[in-house]
Amino acid sequence: MADQKIAAYVCQGCGLGERLDTKALAQIAKTDGKAHLVREHAFLCNADGVATIQKDIEEGVTHIAIAACSRRAKTEAFYFPAVAMSRANLREGVIWVRPIGDEHQETTQEMAQDYVRMACAEAKKLVQPEGSTTAERNNTVLVVGGGITGMTAALEASKTGYQVVLVEKTGQLGGWAGQLWKRVAFKEPFADPADTGVEAMIAAIQTDKNIKVYLNATIAKTDGAPGRFMIDIATESGSVSQEHVGAIVQASGFTLYDMEKLPELGGGKSPHVVDQAGLEVLAKRAAGGAIKRADGSEVKTVVFVQCAGQRDETGKHLSYCSGTCCNTSIKQAMYFKDQNPDVDTVVIYDDLRTPGNGEDFYRSAQRKGVTFTKGKVSSVEANGSGLKVVFNDLILGDQNATIDTDLVVLATGQVPNSGVNIDPSKLETETEAAAEFKQISILNLNYRQGPDVPQLKQGFVDSHFICFPYESRRTGIYPAGPVRRPMDIAQAMEDATGATMKAIQAIENAAVGRAAHPRSGDLSFPIVRIEGCTQCKRCTVECPFGAIDENEKGYPVFNESRCRRCGTCMGACPVRVISFENYSVDSVGSQIKAVDIPDEFQEKPRILILACENDAYPALDMAGMNRNTYSAYVRVIPVRCLGSVNLIWVTDALNSGYDGVMMMGCKHGDNYQCHFVKGSEIASQRLSKIDDTLKSLNLEPERVQNFEVAIADIERVPQLINDYAAKIQEIGMSPFKF
Amino acid sequence: MSDLNAQAVAKYRNNFLKEVEACVEEGDWVKMCIQCGVCSGSCPFGPDWEHPPQELFMMIRAGKREEVLTSSSMWMCTSCYNCIVRCPREIPITHIMHGLANYAHRLGLAPKNQPTRHFSALFWNNIIKTGRVNELKLSLGLYFRDGFVSGIKVGLTMASVGLGMVMAKRLNPIELLKPHGCKDTKGIHAMLKKAREIEDRRKGLTAA
Amino acid sequence: MTEVVATNQTILVVGGGISGMTAALEAAECGKDVVLLEKNPALGGRVSQLYRYFPKLCHPTCGLEINLRRLKGSRRIRTLTMAEVTGITGQKGDYTVSVKLSPRYVNENCTACGECGKAVTAEIPNAFNYNLNKIKAAYIPNAMAYPMRYVLDPSIIGTPEADKAKAACKYDAIDLDMKEETIQIKAGAVVWATGWQPYDAAKIQPYGYDRFANVITSVEFERLADPHGPTGGKILRPSDGKEAKNVAFIQCAGSRDENHLRHCSRICCMASLKQTNYVTEKFGDEGKSTIYYIDIRAIDRFEDFYQKVKANPNVKFIKSKVAKIVEDEKTGNPICHGVDTEGYHRYATEHDLVVLAIGMAPSVPAGMIPMDIVADSSGFIQLDEANGGLFGAGCATNALDVNRAVQSATASALRAIQVVNQVARAEA
Repeated sequence: MADQKIAAYVCQGCGLGERLDTKALAQIAKTDGKAHLVREHAFLCNADGVATIQKDIEEGVTHIAIAACSRRAKTEAFYFPAVAMSRANLREGVIWVRPIGDEHQETTQEMAQDYVRMACAEAKKLVQPEGSTTAERNNTVLVVGGGITGMTAALEASKTGYQVVLVEKTGQLGGWAGQLWKRVAFKEPFADPADTGVEAMIAAIQTDKNIKVYLNATIAKTDGAPGRFMIDIATESGSVSQEHVGAIVQASGFTLYDMEKLPELGGGKSPHVVDQAGLEVLAKRAAGGAIKRADGSEVKTVVFVQCAGQRDETGKHLSYCSGTCCNTSIKQAMYFKDQNPDVDTVVIYDDLRTPGNGEDFYRSAQRKGVTFTKGKVSSVEANGSGLKVVFNDLILGDQNATIDTDLVVLATGQVPNSGVNIDPSKLETETEAAAEFKQISILNLNYRQGPDVPQLKQGFVDSHFICFPYESRRTGIYPAGPVRRPMDIAQAMEDATGATMKAIQAIENAAVGRAAHPRSGDLSFPIVRIEGCTQCKRCTVECPFGAIDENEKGYPVFNESRCRRCGTCMGACPVRVISFENYSVDSVGSQIKAVDIPDEFQEKPRILILACENDAYPALDMAGMNRNTYSAYVRVIPVRCLGSVNLIWVTDALNSGYDGVMMMGCKHGDNYQCHFVKGSEIASQRLSKIDDTLKSLNLEPERVQNFEVAIADIERVPQLINDYAAKIQEIGMSPFKF
Repeated sequence: MSDLNAQAVAKYRNNFLKEVEACVEEGDWVKMCIQCGVCSGSCPFGPDWEHPPQELFMMIRAGKREEVLTSSSMWMCTSCYNCIVRCPREIPITHIMHGLANYAHRLGLAPKNQPTRHFSALFWNNIIKTGRVNELKLSLGLYFRDGFVSGIKVGLTMASVGLGMVMAKRLNPIELLKPHGCKDTKGIHAMLKKAREIEDRRKGLTAA
Repeated sequence: MTEVVATNQTILVVGGGISGMTAALEAAECGKDVVLLEKNPALGGRVSQLYRYFPKLCHPTCGLEINLRRLKGSRRIRTLTMAEVTGITGQKGDYTVSVKLSPRYVNENCTACGECGKAVTAEIPNAFNYNLNKIKAAYIPNAMAYPMRYVLDPSIIGTPEADKAKAACKYDAIDLDMKEETIQIKAGAVVWATGWQPYDAAKIQPYGYDRFANVITSVEFERLADPHGPTGGKILRPSDGKEAKNVAFIQCAGSRDENHLRHCSRICCMASLKQTNYVTEKFGDEGKSTIYYIDIRAIDRFEDFYQKVKANPNVKFIKSKVAKIVEDEKTGNPICHGVDTEGYHRYATEHDLVVLAIGMAPSVPAGMIPMDIVADSSGFIQLDEANGGLFGAGCATNALDVNRAVQSATASALRAIQVVNQVARAEA
C-alpha cells in the first residue's frame, strides 16, 4: 500500500457550495481523510472537472474520493475504471434531506464532514479488481432433456455458434410434444390445431454437427462451475461418459398430475376416463379418422373436465392452475369436431383461461360447435357402457346437472420435473405426486448445498420470476420450460431460446471472470485468508447460490464463476477472513470508524444506517430528490446486500459510541424482494441473535433494529429515520462515547 | 303436441342446440356466447325477463327445450338493439330472440296469453290481409282481447289519444268499415306463401 | 451527441422499456454492441409507471434500479432517448435505420440540480402520471429517470419561459438552439420492443370514461396508489378528491371484444386483483373492492394470488360484464348496471370509483413499422422468417405480463445475436 495516492474532490455545484462550507470539507479530507491531494471544484461533473480528475490519475493518483452527488448519479462523468473510487453523497444524502436554516447548519455540515471522512476511509481500503486468473472458457452448452424445450435450446445454441451436449432420459427425442397428435394453434388466425413440428426438429438435431445427443441417459454427476462443468452421463447400458461444458440448460419438463388421485372424477376407475395424454394417444391412433375409445367404439360424445386436480382449495391436489389445459382441451375438442361435427363435445370449466390470441382459438372452437359450460364437476360414474358426468351448473344454478357421455377427458395439470427439493420445508406436503417426482435428482450437482436447483413452494424452480425469470439460484444453470412454470409449446420454445441466451452469456462471463446478474460485470470475487478459517461452515451453508463447497478438511472451496458477489459469505464469517477487493469488512468498518462521534454532553446522537444498495439506498436518494427531510444524526453506508453485513460492524459501531444502528433491507419470505434471494432473510436471522451481544454490552435492544424497506418508500424511510432518532433520544445517549 | 313440434322432437332428439341452429333465425350464433351477461344487463326491459338472453342461450346448450320454448322471456324483446351493440362476440341477440319467439309460436309452444305474442299475431294477421296495417282495427283488436267489458274500459282510457290522432289525420274511422289495401293483395299473399315455403325448406320442416 | 458508432454487427434495440432494456442488456453482457433507442426522454417504459407488480407486490422500480445499474456499468450500450425510428432499409445482417432525434434542449452538462424547474412557471400535463396532474415545463421525467437530466417542453421554446430556464442554469446545460435531426444507424439486427399502450377507454361508450370523472383506467389507478404519483399515493378520486374506498374493477374493458380488441390482454385480471390490494393497503377493512369479470384469468402460479384475494372478505367477485355505468349527479358516484350471470341477479351498484381494467394494444402496431412485418390481427409482431433480422420483443409481440415480456426479450436478444454472429463469421 506504499504507493497509494489518494485524491479527494469536493464539488461546489448543485448548491453544495452555498449550503456547505466546502473549504472545511476539503480541509477535513486532508487532515482526517489523509488525502494526498484535495481539490475543490465549482462543477466537478463537467468536462473540466472530469479532465482534472483524469489528469490527476494520469499523474499517479491511485484512489479517488468524490464528494458530490449520490453514487447513483452522474455515473458517465465519474467513470474512472483505472482507479478505486468512493463517493460521498453530499447532495441527495445531505443538502437535499436537510432543511435550510441557520439552526440546522451545524448538524448538516457535520453530516457532510462525516461523509467526506467516510469516503476517504473507504477509498483507501479499495482495490480496483482486475479479474480472476482462473477464468476458463468452454463453448459447450449442456441441455438436460430432449423435449420441445431441450430441442429448441440445442438448436438455438448451435445456431448461435456454440456446441451442445443433449441428454435425454428416454430412448427418443420429442418429450411431451412428441406424444401429441397436434399442437395448439400458434399463428394467425389461431383457428385450428397445428402440426407439432417435432419430427422436423429431431431431424435437424440429428444432422447438426454441433449437437451431440445421448439417449437413454441421465446426469449422474455435475461437478464444477460455469466455464468448467464436468458432467458424468450415465447411459442405460451402465456406461458413464464424461463431458466438459460451460453452462447448463435444464429442460426437464413436467409430468401430468396423476389422475388416479381423482377417483371421484373416474380417474383410474374407467378406461373411458382419460387424461389429456390419454386422449392424445387415442387421437394419434385415429390419425385423423373417427376417434375410438379403448373398447374400439366410436366416440359420439365427449366431456372435458377442466381444472381436474388443479386450483384445489382443499390442499389435496395442485393449488395452482397449469395455464395451458384450457387451450389443450379446446384443441382436443377440435380433434372430434374437425373429423365429425356431429360429435358432441362439452367443455366444463370454471374460468376459461385462454389469454392472448387464445381468445381466437376459443372463438374458433365455439364456431366449430364445441359447447362450453361453466360448472364444477362433482363426479364421473359408469353408466351402462358410457359415463355420467354430474356437475354444478353455475350459470343455470342446477347443482345436479348431468351429461351422459362416451368419454371423459380430465385436464390434469403439469407437475414440474425439478428434481430433489433441497429445501423441504417449502414443499407442499399434501401434493404427494409432486413429492414423488422430487425424489429423483435431475442434475446430481456435486454441490455442498444439494443436488438440484432450489425450488419455490410449488416445486417450480426459484428465481426472481418477474423481472429476472432466468436467474436461478445456481449460476450458469438455466431452467427452461415447464420446470420453471407451467407452459405450453409456444411459450416453452420462447423460454428455451431465452435460457439459451443466458447460458451463452454465462459462458462468456465465465471466460473473463465477470460476475453474472445482478452484479453483472463485477470483476471482484471473494478472497479468503484460509489460514484464519475455523471451518465453521457458515459461509458454505448460507451462500444463497450454493457457490461454496467444502473440501475434505471442511475448509470452504470458493467457485468464483458460481459466485454472484453478494457478500453473504463475508457477512457470515465470524473470523472475518472473507473479503472482496472492492468491498470488505475493512472497507465498511473503516467508514464506520471514520465518523466523528461527539461526546455524550453534546447530545448529538449518531445513528448508523446500513442500507441495501438496491432498494433502501435508492429510496433514500429519491426521498432526497423529493426534498423529504430526515435527521442529521444518521450516517448511511450502502451495502451490497444486508446478507453481507458482518455483525462486527454493528458491535464496532456500538463500541465506538454510536447510539443506534438501523439495518435497511428487502422484504423476505415467500414474496422475497432481495436480489440475492436469501440475503435479507439471513441478515434478520443473524440479527435475531444480537440481543445477547447487546445485553453483554448492557445496551437496550432498540439500539439495533432491522427494517424492511422497499424502493418506493420515499415517504416512509424519512419517517422511519425520524421516528428512530426520536426513540434514540428518548433512550438516551450511548454510554460508550469517549 | 303439434305436428311440427313432434317432427322437431323426432328429428333432433335431445340436441336442442342443433335444433335451434337449424330452425331459429340466427340460431347459429347461440354457441358463440361467453356468458358475460352484457345483453341481459343492457336490456331496458331487464327485470321483466324470467330468463334473460344469455341465460336462454345457456339453457339451449343445456338442452332445456321445453323451458325455453314455452318461456315468455324472448317475447320481451323490443328490438332496441342495445344488446347487439354491446355483445363482445357480436351475437345478433335481438334477431335470435325474435327467431326463438317465432319458432315457439310455430310449434304451438308459446304461452297462450303472452301479450306480445297476441299483439304480434294481431299485427301479422292484420297486415297480411291487405298488405297494409289497419291501425284502427289493430288497436281495437288489442283492446278487446280480454273481452268486451275490459275492451270498452281500455278504449275509454285511450279515447283522447284516439281523438287526437283523428284530428291529426293519423287515424281514419272510415277504415273500420272500408279498409284500404295495397294494389295487389293477391301478389302479396303469393309472396308470403312462397317465403314460408322457402323458410320451411331451409329449416327442414314441412307445414302441417 | 449524435455520433453513434455502429456497424452491421451492432444490435439496434427499439424501445427502452423493460423488454428493450432486457434485450439490450442481455446482448451487451454477452459482448455485443447495442444501440438502445427510446422515444421518451427517459428509459423505463410503462412498467416504471406501475406502483407494484403482481404477484409479489414488489415495486417495478426495484428491478429497474438493477437494470439501470447494469446499463450504467456497461460500455457496450449506447442509449439514445427522444429517438424514433422513421425508416429501415437493407436486409438481415445489413440494415440502415433512420432515427429522428427530438431536441431535449438540455445537454449532458445537466446535473439535475433543479434550478431551471424552479425558474420556469409554465406547466404542462404530466405524461408520466397519465396527465392526472401538471408539472413544470422544465422537468425531470420521473424520480428514476435515466438519463437523469432535465427536459424542456417544446411548448416553451421561443418564449420568455425558456429564457428563464436558461438564465437559471449555472452549468451551461440548456441549449435552446437544439434542433430535431435525423441520423442513420447501421445494424445487423433489430429488436423491436416498442411495448403497449392502453386501449382508448373513451371508445367503450357505455362506461362513460370520457363523461364521468370517477371512471378511470387501471393504469391511472396505478399512479394514484404510487407515492410518486399525483396524489402522493393516496387513492383520491378525480371529481372531488374524496378518498375512494369503494372501488369497482371492470374486467375486459376493451379486451376479448369484437367491437374493440379481439384478443385477451392477459394481464388485466391479475392487475385488478393486485389493485384490490391497494384498496386494502390504504383503507384496511373500510376499503371495499368489487371485481366484475367474465373469466378470472389468473393463470399458472398466479392462481395462488387469486385465492388469497378471494379469501379477503372485502373483495367481491361478480361474474358479469357490466352493461353500463351511470353517474349519480349529486354525489358523482358511478353506478354499475348489469346482471350477475351466476344464477341471474340484477344489480345497480354504486361505487366511489370505477377502474376499467383496460386492454393492451401494441404501441406501434406492426403496420406502422417502416418495414413489411408478419403480424397477427391485433398488430402484434409474430416470429417469422419473413421478418428477416427484425425480432419483436415483449408486448410488441403479444399481450404479456412482465415475466413473459422479459422471457420474450431475452429470446429476441439471442435471435439478434445469431444474426450478428453470422455477420461476424462471414466477415472473419
